[in-house]
Amino acid sequence: MLVLSNVKARFKPEYASGPFHASVVQYDAQGAPAHVYAVSLQTSTDSVELPLKPAAGGWGFVTVSGDFAQSDLYVTLSDGRDYTATHGRGEFVEEYPPLTRLLLAAARGAASLVGRTVPVFTRNQYVFVGPESRSHVLLMNLSNVTNSIRVVLGADGRVAGSRLLRLPPMGSHLLDVATLVDVATLVDVASLAGRPSDSAALRLRLEGNAWFNLYLVGAGPLDLAGPLSLMHVK
Amino acid sequence: MSSSLSALLSGTFYEPGYDHRVEIIHQRDAGAHRRLESLDVALYDKDGALLATPAVDPGLEILDLGALVRSATDTRERVMVVLDARYDEAIFPYRPHHYAYFHRAGSTAAPLYYAVNATLGGVPDRVGATNINNFETYVFRQGPFAETYSLLLGCLARFVPVQAQVFAYYGSKRVARDVTLAPKCHAEIPLPAEDGGERLARVEVKALFRLLSYVVGRRAGTGDLVLFDHLFTYAK
Repeated sequence: MLVLSNVKARFKPEYASGPFHASVVQYDAQGAPAHVYAVSLQTSTDSVELPLKPAAGGWGFVTVSGDFAQSDLYVTLSDGRDYTATHGRGEFVEEYPPLTRLLLAAARGAASLVGRTVPVFTRNQYVFVGPESRSHVLLMNLSNVTNSIRVVLGADGRVAGSRLLRLPPMGSHLLDVATLVDVATLVDVASLAGRPSDSAALRLRLEGNAWFNLYLVGAGPLDLAGPLSLMHVK
Repeated sequence: MSSSLSALLSGTFYEPGYDHRVEIIHQRDAGAHRRLESLDVALYDKDGALLATPAVDPGLEILDLGALVRSATDTRERVMVVLDARYDEAIFPYRPHHYAYFHRAGSTAAPLYYAVNATLGGVPDRVGATNINNFETYVFRQGPFAETYSLLLGCLARFVPVQAQVFAYYGSKRVARDVTLAPKCHAEIPLPAEDGGERLARVEVKALFRLLSYVVGRRAGTGDLVLFDHLFTYAK
């Protein structure tokens, strides 16, 4: 469920009065526009809840464009009893010109032969896994080129696992961090240290040949079958 | 210490029973060149009493709040954790953005990731806050959820109490509440989910001085945190 508001417009003279119109485009996991929604707010203090429809792949992302300030956007997840939420702000979608797309495709293809990518953009992110919790990373390719994203997971100062993901333009991927590392061993280490309920901190390094961003997805003991949380990373 | 260093004053709340970790810095390169120059941590109870100032290595990657609080105090109450970091802005052009994670042992709720609230308060001359940043808002979903809502507010001022107004909106009705917090005090301000048959739609906080502030949702029955998010700040 998205919750859209435009409270910030009260502080911007050019946006001071409604109505405000926005277009919400929902992309599926392969980057195809799956659904388009039209949203209107009569005043800056209105808010609207927009339920998202299922889309191919089971995950994806939306873009919001229109009269709205780049603020007051919330993404929520609910099991019907409670809901969790995160907020978002302005983001970039990179539109590379034809020549750049060709060069990136050639370089990406060459690098992928040895399991690497062209590290034009790099992000570092800590994630946590434990006996009662899991973390997933929703990777979003915010560009019009295929994006090879190499994920390297470090634990205790060493490389614990890596993976090369290939995301189509505007595509996304939900990465289960536990598939990159032996969680049982990590949990055993915490238990031996006298902290059986504690999670292990892991360091992710993500490299992509085009612009991308991520959300962190927290899962409890039931993993994706149970309640989930989200946090966007600036 | 060099006076040319930048400062980030931020804070969060630790509640017993939670595995609660805070990144000391967010983006760390492979060579570990990105580190804080210094980090002072202070723990306060709800009445503003200083519980401890545990030493923390600024080169640490992850701060284990549970271990820190347990080793430094014997309290079983909520603790306000204040992080006063100094850093070189040539290394962190924006700021060393702390993100955090927590999960309560035995809880079936999802763990929560969140961004630690940067108050920028207390040392406005050093952080260069030229505009007021003490008006914040947050929007709620309208469904009949079982969770309860509140605000966690903390006062990072050194010398004077901070007066704040909390406005909760239910349909066209506005419910106002005045809150005064003495230096280093903190409080949880309940936000009833309904008023006159209308659901809580939005909350605003207006203060004379920037407060440490989080919107909180708790599971009915267990009190497990299911929502922990900083409010939107506009005038900054």
